[in-house]
Amino acid sequence: MARTMGPADTLRMIQGGLDEIRANHEELSRLDAATGDGDHGSAMLRAVDAAQKAMQDKAGAPAGEVFQAMAWGMMGSTGGAPGPLFGSFFMGMGAAVGDDDLDCAAVATMFEAGLAKLRKQTKAQPGEKTMIDALVPAVEAVRAAAEADADIDAALARAAAAAAHGAESTKDMLARHGKARNLGERTLGHVDAGATSVACMFKGFSQALAN
Amino acid sequence: MAMKKFINDPNNLTAELLDGMCTAFADKLTLVNEKLVCRANPKDESKVAIVTLGGSGHEPALQAFVGEGLIDISVVGDIFAAPGPPQVIEALRMMNREAGVLFVVLNHAGDVMSANMAMEMVEAEGLNVRMILTHEDIAPGADAPAEDKRGLVGCIPLYKVAGAAAEAGKSLDEVYAIAERFNDNMATLAVAMKTATHPQNGAEIAQIADDEMEIGMGQHGEAGTGPCKIMTADETAKVMVERLIPAIGAASGDKVLLVVNGSGATTHMEMFIVYRAARKILTDAGIEVACSMVGEYLTVQEMGGFQMFLAKMDDELIDLFNAPCDSPYWTVR
Repeated sequence: MARTMGPADTLRMIQGGLDEIRANHEELSRLDAATGDGDHGSAMLRAVDAAQKAMQDKAGAPAGEVFQAMAWGMMGSTGGAPGPLFGSFFMGMGAAVGDDDLDCAAVATMFEAGLAKLRKQTKAQPGEKTMIDALVPAVEAVRAAAEADADIDAALARAAAAAAHGAESTKDMLARHGKARNLGERTLGHVDAGATSVACMFKGFSQALAN
Repeated sequence: MAMKKFINDPNNLTAELLDGMCTAFADKLTLVNEKLVCRANPKDESKVAIVTLGGSGHEPALQAFVGEGLIDISVVGDIFAAPGPPQVIEALRMMNREAGVLFVVLNHAGDVMSANMAMEMVEAEGLNVRMILTHEDIAPGADAPAEDKRGLVGCIPLYKVAGAAAEAGKSLDEVYAIAERFNDNMATLAVAMKTATHPQNGAEIAQIADDEMEIGMGQHGEAGTGPCKIMTADETAKVMVERLIPAIGAASGDKVLLVVNGSGATTHMEMFIVYRAARKILTDAGIEVACSMVGEYLTVQEMGGFQMFLAKMDDELIDLFNAPCDSPYWTVR
């Protein structure tokens, strides 16, 4: 498919990401229990529920507005850092999408805007065992695919693979942020739950476009 | 093992505890929009307001210290989790006033992120808010960068001195300066000997062997300086107070505030025995314990252990500490 996608397809892609988080929230909490409170999955579930509600409330509005409402909902959802972090990612994306049809380069620009907004909220750098370790390679994969003139669904498939690989790579990293930071070497051997959430979300984005 | 707690739906803990607290102390607290614990008798608009934020599960902190001469609004997150920026912004807007708002934030990643995002937005709206970050945990070393040092029980006496200064009609700059002076001269060290369960998922928040304890463990089970064999109250107090004294630079002739804050499962009997030992070491060093707090202020569910806190006090801080206040868990007349 898909040299371009309209707002409805963009939101269908987002829906796939929300669904995938919802389907895996228990596993995400289980992963978090190794180095954190074990509540990451329930926090993500609340964030996607808030995003879902915003999406329904804003049905028919321009995509950019729907993104902003989802972002605000996620930020206000209970459960600590995941809501504000994923909310700022969505807020950045929303500011970039407007209500236009997107080609692959525009999709890359949208994800880059989300990443830029998110990185204003956290000092986390790649290699520090956070969601950044999955998100940066995923966003870069979309841009690389766009530059290689790939279709959007192919670009998202590569992004999902890059995110999964990035999440897996956190196993060998020392945590430097959040509550896990204070555990030092005890974090080795455990994948980061936030990075896994990013991988889950991109898997859902990709699956939604493949269907 | 099944979780042994008197709870209902684990997803509804915060809502139920806030409902209970705010109705039990209806003369002092009012719950607004489910997450904002506000003073039932709001402070005069001409005075600086004090706003703070933090996760629940640490009762009575933070919200039971909302009241006259203390906090004006406590923005409550879920169990051990920060509230989101929208709720924080709502509280800061509610307290918006010409006199300004002092916004007290404990150094925990989620709290700081919500606070920073909220500050960015309210500053763009032109609100007169100054943020102060508590970071007095010396577990990573007294000289560690501020961002590595957690905010522990020190926020409670900080609310007290800042709240008293605000109540006295001081300007935002003055209230901020007093709070920052207190903030710069305080230190906390925690010790844990029995872990606690996370009330939402029943998981133990830390692992501590039966015959061990860990000095420096944070209030969510974050690792400290490594486990050691259990020591007596006197030995434990000695190790802790001898690290706290140099951390605040206290010397003979100085006056201090000494706090022993129970983590949830440590008895008042133990807290007083520890307090006695710490006080004796301070007194022997010529340091006067001018103010004291012994009890459960900021807890970690049923964790066994305590936080020991020391702050250098001057006459103005002592007067503010002793000034009248009226909240559910701290009243001075």
